[in-house]
Amino acid sequence: MTLSTTSPHNRGWLLGLRDAIPLLSGYIPVAISFGLIAIQSGFTPLQAVLISLLVYAGASQFMFVGLAATGAPLWLVVSMSLLINLRHLVYAPGLAPSLNNSRWWPWMMHGLTDQIFALALNRLPQLEPGQRLSWYSSAAMLAWGSWVVGTAVGALTGDWLMSRWPLVGQVTPFALPALFLVLLAPYATNPRWAISLSLAILTALMMALYGLSNIGIPLAAICGALCFQLIKPRRPQHV
Amino acid sequence: MSDHVWLAVALTALGTFLIRLLPLLWMQRRLARRQGENGVEALPPWLSILGPMMIAAMLGVSLIPASPSATTWLATLVGVIVTLLVWRQLRSLGWPVLGGVASYTAVILLARLFV
Repeated sequence: MTLSTTSPHNRGWLLGLRDAIPLLSGYIPVAISFGLIAIQSGFTPLQAVLISLLVYAGASQFMFVGLAATGAPLWLVVSMSLLINLRHLVYAPGLAPSLNNSRWWPWMMHGLTDQIFALALNRLPQLEPGQRLSWYSSAAMLAWGSWVVGTAVGALTGDWLMSRWPLVGQVTPFALPALFLVLLAPYATNPRWAISLSLAILTALMMALYGLSNIGIPLAAICGALCFQLIKPRRPQHV
Repeated sequence: MSDHVWLAVALTALGTFLIRLLPLLWMQRRLARRQGENGVEALPPWLSILGPMMIAAMLGVSLIPASPSATTWLATLVGVIVTLLVWRQLRSLGWPVLGGVASYTAVILLARLFV
């Protein structure tokens, strides 16, 4: 079966799976690390898997198990974990113009992670409207499934796995910046976008180097957006 | 795990879901009110700019190697260059990522042989 001979609905599912595959090399090592850290923090494998299944937000899950392990009060654990996720507020509105009124879309927002947003922002407008829900469902479910399975693997065998193949854990996370780079590359031909995006990248990089990656992401994005507004667009040349 | 921690899991899961869901419902209502307009035109201008900027910010954070050293930074630089070169040639999604990871791995392995 090839992509060109399948129905639009099935084609959407296949395209979604194909597009989300590069995410796995970024998700699985991080999920394994999360499973491992959750066990070391006193959670059982089942509890670690349930956190990945229900919360499904990488950085905030690490924060959650870390704080819970120190015996921090419930309100602090919850509020700090949610604070990290506030950057997700702008994701769904960015995708909304590409979505129809299907009653499934609201439920699908559970899968709207950083990486799925980045992928969907670029891919959804390129797809036929009839393919978009199936594309998003398959991409989001593959990513979610890999996150949950990775957590289980990390919780059950993480120690052994990382000591057996340390290189895999070291190199596969590079798939994530590579994917972001590919998603941004089309903007590079426009100087206004190129300068603003470069500023956002460098700001986030510098803030992360100083241990401020979570607050650094929204702040860097705002810096880039302000820079974009300050740079005047080039007027077309009249001959 | 105590009941308190289960409650914390439930609240964090619900809160995270609402953070992702409520802005969608707000935007869908806004789009419905402006039905005559193209979807992109109905989008507040700041939002169409902020999307790519968020990706750029995530890129900046993800560029930092898990264990920073001269070798991993060099591997990151080579990986970035190869990813962009493959994208320029093929304009696809998967191959540039694969090329980037392969070149990143190659630098790490070469460094182990020679350093």
